[in-house]
Amino acid sequence: MSLWRIAWSYLWNRKLTTALTVLSVALGVGLISAVLTLREETQRRFEEEGQAFDIVIGAKGNPLQLVLSTVYFLDAPTGNMDIAIFNELKEHEDVVAAFPIGMGDTYRGYRIVGTTPDLMEFEWGDRTPYALAEGRYFDAPFEAVVGANVAEDARLRLGATFYGTHGFVDSPYAQAHEDHPYTVVGILERSGSPNDRAIFCNIQDVWDVHDHGDDHDHHHEHGEECDHHHPHDDITAALIKLASPAIRFEFKDLVNRNYNAMAAIPIQEIQKLYEQLLGMAKLVLLAIGYLVVGISALSILIGLYMAILQRKRDLAIMRALGATRGEIFGAVIIEAFWVTLLGVVAGWFMGAVVCAALNQYLVAQVGFHVSAVRLTADLVAAYSAVILMGLIAGILPAWQAYRTDVARDLSEL
Amino acid sequence: MVLLEQVRRRLGPGVTFYCEHFHAEPGARVALFGPSGCGKSTLLNLVTGLLRADAGVIRVDGQEIQNYSESKLDAFRGERLGFVFQTFNLLAPFTALQNVIVGMRFADVIPDKEWKDRARAMLDRVGLGHRLHSKPGVLSVGERQRVAIARALVNEPKLIVADEPTGSLDPKTAEGVMALLLELCEQEAVTLLLVTHDRGIAERLPQLFDCTDLVKESQS
Repeated sequence: MSLWRIAWSYLWNRKLTTALTVLSVALGVGLISAVLTLREETQRRFEEEGQAFDIVIGAKGNPLQLVLSTVYFLDAPTGNMDIAIFNELKEHEDVVAAFPIGMGDTYRGYRIVGTTPDLMEFEWGDRTPYALAEGRYFDAPFEAVVGANVAEDARLRLGATFYGTHGFVDSPYAQAHEDHPYTVVGILERSGSPNDRAIFCNIQDVWDVHDHGDDHDHHHEHGEECDHHHPHDDITAALIKLASPAIRFEFKDLVNRNYNAMAAIPIQEIQKLYEQLLGMAKLVLLAIGYLVVGISALSILIGLYMAILQRKRDLAIMRALGATRGEIFGAVIIEAFWVTLLGVVAGWFMGAVVCAALNQYLVAQVGFHVSAVRLTADLVAAYSAVILMGLIAGILPAWQAYRTDVARDLSEL
Repeated sequence: MVLLEQVRRRLGPGVTFYCEHFHAEPGARVALFGPSGCGKSTLLNLVTGLLRADAGVIRVDGQEIQNYSESKLDAFRGERLGFVFQTFNLLAPFTALQNVIVGMRFADVIPDKEWKDRARAMLDRVGLGHRLHSKPGVLSVGERQRVAIARALVNEPKLIVADEPTGSLDPKTAEGVMALLLELCEQEAVTLLLVTHDRGIAERLPQLFDCTDLVKESQS
């Protein structure tokens, strides 16, 4: 019978107290697991998406806003830019591929993205972000290809028709372009990317819908500004793939210095966002997680200390049977280890459940898929720190046990 | 087997334990008899090394233990002694079988692969072969003391120290436990030191040591 078994038996003998202590450790570990996993996973996913295109070009303004609106479909565009700039840059020797983007409308909150058909065939690495699950790509006017989330949420099947509404907010007051119905001709495979919640059509359709030549009388609710005028010589943004990622900065400088437009490097903007904003949020959440673990360590200490006081006689018996002080000390430390280890395992599980729940939400809301909790270096370090805290919490009770006065404790009834 | 010569131990302000001479031959069965507080248990604690003497010589199984280090005393207790207590002192989380195994685990004199078989055999000998997997909480007081006797004897010790082993038992159960303890000690040729304040129990043992004057209060 090992000390591990003996320690386990004592924990099992006071199941409720042990379970509560394990739960308190698990809460802290769960929070830490969820925070680290979500932070790492979302950053990884954002950065992956950010790597698809080397440069985004749009109207001058906030580069992060440009990236968020064009690559992630999360923010309002910075404005419009002259298509002549796009046409000129498209011919630049360092540009491998360039795609215009025209935006202005949504359907049930999902953004209608006008582009050229060749974007649908764009691949990077081993990824095909625009792969079809059903149907075909858009060809004729007002044909649309919808993302997996859009198809599911808006119940759009092949052949279904819908109208775009003006602006980027899903509002019942938004003006519908009822004389320009789109027909669904394709549904994209779920990719866990922003494409899942986008609707793609030919950029010509976007221009046609917003052409002032039509007799549409747009009515703008809630003081929304009229930014929907897209003459044929304007685009919202452009996605650029360069010959090499190494020339991103050089190309960005070229655009910013020489054109009435702004270039942004998606991956750079996203990393800045993480460092500035989410970095602090992560620190705060991690601090809360470690605080919970700290409190749990205190509860391990108190729980074990009380348990040691209650079983001084048992410890004295073990000493009388030949147990050394070191073995008694070790048995108590092992109890602390068991409690902490169980807390870490339970916390890992809780973190996984939280991540799974948030994954559902993120897939639906942002189109990002978050993997289950994985043992990254950060998580291993965090778990090790928690176990170390548990062991440290066990030292005082173990020392109390170590100092057992056998003769006195055996004589006390 | 056990020898105490001029052993002194201070127990408190003005209270001193002093034993001029005590001797028990190997295989002897000695009752340490006297009223409560007379120093019987102190004598036992000194013999087992649970208390240290301030002066004098304590020899057990040929070893002078009064100057042993803590770790040497731990090993000495595990290898050579078996304990039987008044309150049984079984470990609550463990079954009868496991309690006996714990005795072997800390004594570390029996190879671990033999622990289970030996514990079973010993519990069979004390008549508890059918209660191997029962925890102390569901055993009767008599059964608990039998488990304690099995635990004390399983390591084949040289000396059994029993501190009021029948003190918590009714007369009938006490009779059975005493008979078992004496029988097993005789079979195993183990020396027995048994503390009791019950003259009837004391007189069942061949040798009686009167502890009445072991603890003295000084005038000052």
